[in-house]
Amino acid sequence: MSKTMKKRLVIIGSGPAGLSCALSALKNGIPKENILVLEREEELGGTLNLCIHAGFGKDNKTGTELATELADKVRNAGITCMTSTTVLSIDKRKIITLISPELGYTKITAEAIVLATGCRERSRGGLSIGGTRPAGILSAGTAQRFINLEGYMPGAKTVVVGTTDLALVIARRITLEGGQVVFVCDSKKKPQSERVKVGECLDYFNIPLKLHTTITRIFGKDRIEGVEIAELDKKGRPIKETKERVECDSLVYSCGFIPENELANSLGIEMRQSTHGPRTTRKMETSIDGIFSCGNSRMIHEDVDDIILDGKKAGKFVAEHLKSLKEDKKKKKEKKQ
Amino acid sequence: MSKKVYDVAIIGAGIVGTMTAFYLSKYNVNAVVLEAGIDIASGTTRANSAVIHAGYDAPEGSLKAKLNVKGAKMVGPIAKQLGVHYKKCGSLVLGYNKKDLNQLKILLVRGKKNGVRGLEILTQSQLRKMEPNVSRDAKYALYAPSAGIVCPYDLAYALGENSCTNGVDYIFEYKVDKIEKNQRNYLLYSNNRVVKAKYVVNAAGLYSDEIAEMLGDPLPFKIIPRRGEYLLLDKCEGKVVTHTLFVTPSEKGKGILVSPTVDGNVLVGPNANVVESKADTGVTVEGVREISEGARGIVPSINLNTVITTFAGVRSTPTSGDFYIQESKKFPRFVHAAGIESPGLASSPAIGEYIIKILDRAGLKMEEKEDYIPTRTKDGNCKLFMDMTESEKRNAVRKDPHYAKIVCRCEMVTEGDIINAIKRPIPAHTIDMVKRRTRAGMGRCQGGYCRAKVAEIIARELNIKISDVKKFTSNSNVIGGRTK
Ligand SMILES: Cc1cc2nc3c(=O)[nH]c(=O)nc-3n(C[C@H](O)[C@H](O)[C@H](O)COP(=O)(O)OP(=O)(O)OC[C@H]3O[C@@H](n4cnc5c(N)ncnc54)[C@H](O)[C@@H]3O)c2cc1C
Ligand SMILES: Cc1cc2nc3c(=O)[nH]c(=O)nc-3n(C[C@H](O)[C@H](O)[C@H](O)COP(=O)(O)OP(=O)(O)OC[C@H]3O[C@@H](n4cnc5c(N)ncnc54)[C@H](O)[C@@H]3O)c2cc1C
Repeated sequence: MSKTMKKRLVIIGSGPAGLSCALSALKNGIPKENILVLEREEELGGTLNLCIHAGFGKDNKTGTELATELADKVRNAGITCMTSTTVLSIDKRKIITLISPELGYTKITAEAIVLATGCRERSRGGLSIGGTRPAGILSAGTAQRFINLEGYMPGAKTVVVGTTDLALVIARRITLEGGQVVFVCDSKKKPQSERVKVGECLDYFNIPLKLHTTITRIFGKDRIEGVEIAELDKKGRPIKETKERVECDSLVYSCGFIPENELANSLGIEMRQSTHGPRTTRKMETSIDGIFSCGNSRMIHEDVDDIILDGKKAGKFVAEHLKSLKEDKKKKKEKKQ
Repeated sequence: MSKKVYDVAIIGAGIVGTMTAFYLSKYNVNAVVLEAGIDIASGTTRANSAVIHAGYDAPEGSLKAKLNVKGAKMVGPIAKQLGVHYKKCGSLVLGYNKKDLNQLKILLVRGKKNGVRGLEILTQSQLRKMEPNVSRDAKYALYAPSAGIVCPYDLAYALGENSCTNGVDYIFEYKVDKIEKNQRNYLLYSNNRVVKAKYVVNAAGLYSDEIAEMLGDPLPFKIIPRRGEYLLLDKCEGKVVTHTLFVTPSEKGKGILVSPTVDGNVLVGPNANVVESKADTGVTVEGVREISEGARGIVPSINLNTVITTFAGVRSTPTSGDFYIQESKKFPRFVHAAGIESPGLASSPAIGEYIIKILDRAGLKMEEKEDYIPTRTKDGNCKLFMDMTESEKRNAVRKDPHYAKIVCRCEMVTEGDIINAIKRPIPAHTIDMVKRRTRAGMGRCQGGYCRAKVAEIIARELNIKISDVKKFTSNSNVIGGRTK
C-alpha cells in the first residue's frame, strides 16, 4: 500500500483562474505549504500559453507573457505546483487520484478543492455537416497548436468556420504566416467575437466574411478538396439557389467553448444547464461541501481579466472556508477537554 | 518474384478475413492476409451497428440463421480470450400497434425454431421498467436476453493481432487486381506484385463479387451497396438506454436503432439507402434528419445535441438474400465468403469455423500447433490504461513513466497506450490507426485537444517529420507545410 499525501488546499488547473486563486488564498492567510496546484500540461498557464497574440490583461500583453508573469508570481511565493500531473478522479471524501511521471499513481487527501480546469472547444459533431470526413479539418485550437508551437500550417487554402475570437485570430495568423484564408463564415447574422475586432483581423487582411452562411457539404476522400456553401433563409435553412462549391485544402472550425467538467460530473456535482458549469453559491462553492469552482470551468468568461477576478474571489472564499473548518475543529477539541 | 508459396491467402481484413486467420493460426498453416486498405477493418467492419444479434431475424433453415445463432454464442468467449469489450446487454424490438405485435409473434416463433433461448414478449409496464425513457407509444416488445454489443473494429484488431502473433502475415495496401492460376497455385497480383497460394479465401466484403469476376467465376447474384448513416452521442447521454432498442422490422430492413456502445456512448442509426459507389461513406444532411426523427420515435427525450460524430457504413446486400460461403465449383481450393451483410458480425465466429471446415474438406493439411499463443501478443492482451485495475495502473506507471502522461483528456488515453499502439503486432502509423486502437481522439472533443500531440508522438516514435504523419491513407497528411 502506498501512503496518501495530505494537503489542505488543492487547486486543479493552472490557468489564470487557478493561479490567481492560489495567490489569493495565500494572501488571505493560507500558508504556502498548505497549497498545491496541479497541472496536466508541462507548463503552468493553461490556454494562455497557446495565445501568442497580444491583447491580454491591462497592458495588452501576449497570452504567453501573461502566463509567465502569473506563474512566476506563484512560484516566487513558494507555492508548490506539480506539472505533467493529471487528476484521474476525485471522490466525495476529497481524495484525489492522480498520475504524474514523478509521483506515479498517487492519492492526495485535501480539505478543500478548487476546480479551475478551464474549458474546451466544442467539437465539429455539433456542426453536422454532410459529406466525407477527410484529413485537413482541424479545430481552431489544434490549428493554433500546430502553427504557434510546432510551426506547421493547416494548408495553403483554408476555410474558417465560425467567428469566435479564436476563429478570427486564427484567420489572421494563417494570413500572417503566408497562407490564404479563402473566407470566414458563420451561420449567425452577426460575428460572435467579443473582444477581437473584425476590422483588425479580417478587413485589414482582405479576408472575406460571409455571414448567415453555412457549409452544407465537404468534398474530398483523402484530404479535403472543397466545400459547398449556402446562404440561409429566415428559418435558418440553406437556400438551394445560393449553393456554391469552393475549393480549399483545409478547414478550421471554431464552434465556441464549453466548460471542462468531467471531474465535477463524475463527482455528481449539481450542474447548471445554462452554463454547463457547476451550480455555485455566492461563495463559489459547489453542491459538495468544500469543493469550489472558478474561471471558465464554472462558466465561460470572455475576458481574461474577469477570469483572474473569478479566481481571486474563489481564493478568498476557500481561505475563509478553511479557517472556519479549523475553528470548528478547535471548538470540538475544547469541548472534549 | 518471390518463390514463397503460402498454404492459404485471405483477401480482405474485415471481420470475416481476420476471423478466418484467427482460426487458421491455431494450425501449422502458412497463411497471409491481403488487404487493400492501410489497416485492419478498413471496410464495413468499422462502421456498423455493433450488435451481436440473437438470431430471430433470419428465415428458418437459411445459412444466415444457422451461423447467427451459433456465432452469437461464440463471441463472448473469444472476446474474453482476447480482451475485447463485449456486453450481453439484451435487445428489445418495440411494437407500437397490433400489427407490430403480430410481427413480434412471428419473430418469437422464428427465433425459437432457430434455437434462440430466453425470448419473450413483454407488456408495456415490463418494458418501461427495463427502459424508462422509451416512447409511451411503445406498447409491446420482443426481449432477447442473449443479444449483445461489441466494438467491431477492436474485435477485428484483436483477431488480427492474435493471428499475427501466431505467424500469419499481413500485407496492407495490397489491392488484389488480377488473379491467375497455374497448375498448382493461385497467383494474386496487385500493381505487378504477386502473392502465391495453394488455397484462397475471398473475404473482400463489398468487393467479393469483383474478386469472383477476376477469378472467372462470377457470383450467382448481385451485391447491392446500401449505406447506413449513424450519429454517435456523448457519454453524458450514455445512460439514456441500457438495451439495444429496435423498431419492428419492415420490408426496408431492421430500421433505426438506439443502442449503448461498449465504451459508454450511444449509437443512433442506421437508415438504408442504395448508393452508387461502394466507397460512399459520406454522411448527408437529409440522412442525419431521417435518423434523428427515427431515434425520437424510440426515445423522445434523447438529447441529439450531444452528437460528437457522424459516420456511415455500406452493407453488401446480396440479391439472393443469404450468405454465400462455398468453394468455387470451377476453381478448386478457392473459397468465396460473399453477401455477408448483417448479421455478419454476430455470425463471424461461426463463419470463420465454417470456412475452415471447407478448407479442410478441400484437402488443406491442418495440424494443431503446440506453441499456440492465446493472447494478442506474447505478453498478453495490450490493456489500455483506463481498462486497468488500480494495482495494474500503479505498476504500469512505475514500469514506464509514459503511462503517467495523459494525451487524450476526453478518453484518458496515456502516452504509454499510444506508444504501445505504435509498436503492437500490427503497428499503428497514422492518426486514425492510433485513434481506433486507443480511443485517443474519439471523445467529445474529437481530437481537438490531442491530435497535434498524437502526431508529435507518431513522428517521434517512427522517426519521421511531423508533416509526414498521415490521418489515414498515403495522401492524407494531417497538416500542410511549414509556416513562414
Ligand atoms: C449499416 C450497417 C449495420 C450493420 N449492423 C450489424 C450488426 O449490428 N450486427 C451484425 O452482426 N452485422 C451488422 N452489419 C454487417 C456487418 O458489419 C458485416 O457483415 C461485416 O462487417 C462484413 O465483414 P466482411 O469482413 O465481410 O467485410 P469488410 O469488413 O468490408 O471487409 C472486407 C475487406 O476486404 C478488403 N478488400 C476489398 N477488396 C479487396 C481487394 N481487391 N484486395 C484486397 N482487399 C480487398 C476491404 O478493404 C475490406 O477491408 C452491418 C452492416 C452495415 C453496413
Ligand atoms: C460501435 C461503434 C462505436 C464507435 N464509437 C466511437 C466513439 O466513441 N467516438 C468516435 O469518435 N467514433 C466512434 N465510432 C466511429 C468511428 O470512429 C469511425 O468514425 C467509424 O468507424 C467510421 O469510420 P470511417 O473511416 O468511415 O470514418 P472516420 O474515421 O470518421 O474517417 C476516416 C475517413 O477515411 C475515409 N476512408 C475510409 N476508407 C478509406 C480508403 N480505403 N481509402 C481512402 N479513404 C478512406 C473515410 O471516407 C473517412 O472520410 C464508433 C463506431 C462504431 C461502429
